[in-house]
Amino acid sequence: MFKIKLEQKERVSKREELIITLSAIGIAFVLSGVFIALNGVNPFVALWKVITSALGSPYGISETLVKSIPLIFTGLAVGIALNSKLWNIGAEGQLFFGATFATAFVIYGPVLPKPLELTVLVIIGAIGGALWAAIPALLKIKFKMNEVISTLLLNYVAINIADYFLFGPWKGKDNFPYTPEFPIEAKFNRIGFGRVHIGLFIALVLVVLLFIMLYHTKTGYKLRLAGSSLKAAKYAGINIKKTMFLVFLISGALAGLAGVSQVCGVEYKLHQQISTGYGYTGIIVAWLARSNPFIIVIFAVFLSILLKGADSLQIAMRLPAAVGIVMQALILFAILGSELFKNYNVKLIRGK
Amino acid sequence: MSEKNKNLLVHMNGISKSFYGNKVNTDVEFTLEKGEIHALLGENGAGKTTLMNMLTGVYFPDEGDIYFKGDKIAFNFPGEALQIGIGMVHQRFSLVGNLTVLENLILGHPDNKFVINIPEKKKLIKTYMDQFNFHVDLDAIVGELPIGLRQKVEILKMLVREVDVLIVDEPTTVLTKQEADNLMQILKNIAKTGKGIIFITHKMSEVFQIADKITVLRKGLKISTVNKNDTNPRELAKMMVGKESEITLKKPRVETKPGLVKVQELFVNSDKGVLAVNNLSFEIAGGEIIGIAGVSGNGQVELADALTGNRDVIRGKVLFKDENITNDPPVKRIDKGVSYVPGDRVNVGVAGSQSVWENIIMKVYRLPIFKKGLLLNNKKLKEYAEKIIEKYNIFLPGINLPALLLSGGNLQKLIVGREMERDCDLYVFVYPTRGLDVGATEFVRNAILQMRNQGKAVIMVSGDFDEIFSLSDRIAVMYEGKFTGIFNNGDHSLEEIGLMMSGHTEEDAVKEMSNV
Repeated sequence: MFKIKLEQKERVSKREELIITLSAIGIAFVLSGVFIALNGVNPFVALWKVITSALGSPYGISETLVKSIPLIFTGLAVGIALNSKLWNIGAEGQLFFGATFATAFVIYGPVLPKPLELTVLVIIGAIGGALWAAIPALLKIKFKMNEVISTLLLNYVAINIADYFLFGPWKGKDNFPYTPEFPIEAKFNRIGFGRVHIGLFIALVLVVLLFIMLYHTKTGYKLRLAGSSLKAAKYAGINIKKTMFLVFLISGALAGLAGVSQVCGVEYKLHQQISTGYGYTGIIVAWLARSNPFIIVIFAVFLSILLKGADSLQIAMRLPAAVGIVMQALILFAILGSELFKNYNVKLIRGK
Repeated sequence: MSEKNKNLLVHMNGISKSFYGNKVNTDVEFTLEKGEIHALLGENGAGKTTLMNMLTGVYFPDEGDIYFKGDKIAFNFPGEALQIGIGMVHQRFSLVGNLTVLENLILGHPDNKFVINIPEKKKLIKTYMDQFNFHVDLDAIVGELPIGLRQKVEILKMLVREVDVLIVDEPTTVLTKQEADNLMQILKNIAKTGKGIIFITHKMSEVFQIADKITVLRKGLKISTVNKNDTNPRELAKMMVGKESEITLKKPRVETKPGLVKVQELFVNSDKGVLAVNNLSFEIAGGEIIGIAGVSGNGQVELADALTGNRDVIRGKVLFKDENITNDPPVKRIDKGVSYVPGDRVNVGVAGSQSVWENIIMKVYRLPIFKKGLLLNNKKLKEYAEKIIEKYNIFLPGINLPALLLSGGNLQKLIVGREMERDCDLYVFVYPTRGLDVGATEFVRNAILQMRNQGKAVIMVSGDFDEIFSLSDRIAVMYEGKFTGIFNNGDHSLEEIGLMMSGHTEEDAVKEMSNV
């Protein structure tokens, strides 16, 4: 009979933290393997398939990168809020709202010269996302409403608003719910590697800018201080409400950009499947990366490998579509569980 | 090793523990008998709390054995100690802030059934309260209670669990004299029922008031265990600090600047929305210290919060250098020269998970000299932090590590150093030396005095009479949001002030004392 022994840790080193996170991912993989085996597929074959399909060919790599672009945006969106200990579960809705905003400009606005058109679309999409995030922000600041609930529920509202346009004024000629294809002026340029588009550069530039903002500006300092202790931040003279509001706006704008990047960079139209849960996967990305912008890129790519791989498993091995979601869930589960090891020394001992 | 003594509750033998290469306890022996109050005396960082954390299963000893009622014990998780009857009341309370007192008391109690009979539990807990003379509102939300009451909830929680060994970690640091006396009486009553009490402290007076036996720790080593009757404060002090030390404060005459701060008909609410500061009017001169005495929870903290912008004023005015700052947010007051050393240093004074240097620059990072274009000049900010660390002799594991790793004394040095360096005109201190060891206390008190000598206005909320008497120019006694007396230091005796703290007016208190 074995017993588990827990001892509080004074602190956890960066190295330990990394080992714990990687072990958690490893455990999630093992559990995913069990799930895959239960579906009658050799998990090692499946794992090999995931790796080869996502990274085994230039096509695979480019498709993986395409998927990682919205994940970088949503990962940053959730991550910046987490730096202030705010939970933005609404990146999915902000993504749709941003995409809807940008699409509205494409449909109703003038067709501008390409560089100008794209700039305007990026700005408008960001504004759309920010506006959608402003609602939970105001609810929290004015009425102390928990942002987890409000951001989550507003996702469904945003998606329904997009649906309204798709099934109404923007319905396609064949009565299907998608807009006409965007004009060439509203399409992101490709960078010459499969479907990878300039959204990737925008995302990477934002990674650097956000890092600078977080660690080298007053705003970043304020929002991190507020994330550490609201009382201490107030005591230090920081306007908490203003800071929170700003964090939500930035977070929403980033998620809105994910929407723009999907409609202008990948789909060239608005329809119901512009996001396969990128807003939610962004939560996992941000959490795994401990909200560090640079590490967010790494985990965005990591999760898009899984997404791409899961697509292939579905097609090539006839595994259910849920495999990808199950793997994501297991990773998040293992990561949350691994928090225990960050706070305690855990020892297995032989019991009486 | 078998234990022969039936009265022996706890025997810790040859205990050693280190953290990251630092020896915190070295070969310590400790025993506790039934009905005994055993004081564990030592300065901050002497290893008292760590030793007790091993007795309660929070940490495991690297070496050595622990016996409880004669049986060797080894815990698997922290809750196990409580199950067998060893309970500890920590300095940082382990209560759930948004639950009621009752809910906290029964939380995780092994007797809980699926459905909890609330009225029955209330009745049961009331019997404990009656037995030991506690009075806590069971339906109050714990987070809204003053610290002194929260502690009573913690002790009550242990009593409800029927512990045999009760460990209290520096319990009086959050209490006033009267509250502390009350607590000690309660602890004595508890000991009489055969329970053993371990009383962690660094206050000599308490040791002589309560303890039967005293074990002195210094730098992780057990120096000695003595019976109270066989020793004296001088001897203990020597064991504790290794050398005899006495705090001496020089208090020169200073030219005062009258009316630097004027408080007019001030009304402030507590977190509960109850009037905490009730129509206060007074002035503070530059170059004087007003010491505010009172039982905790009588509006002292709310007053300090309101003066510094950390709490809204309901009615009334605060004038600073004849300028109305009543509605200025904290940031404006920081810029105008108002400084605040809050009572809750862990949650308010620092943002614990942020690095040490980022906590030191908290009030200055906005200054133009720390700008580099649109960015912060992190290099210069770090240099500034390093300068303060060196100047105020703050001992820390690393400038980039979280501030919460600092010990209590060093954390307060960080806060006081940060505030002194800003050169303000009004300094508000709340419980400035609570829980600090002799060295840190001396540092902070000297700092407060230095501010006064430089002509700054100082308000100091304190529960420590030594502090009030040795530092204050004037003393204000606060009771239920009002001053029952405000007078020059020396005008009234300790007893008279004690009476004012329980609601007597200045005249009544004097009359009462002259009748004795």
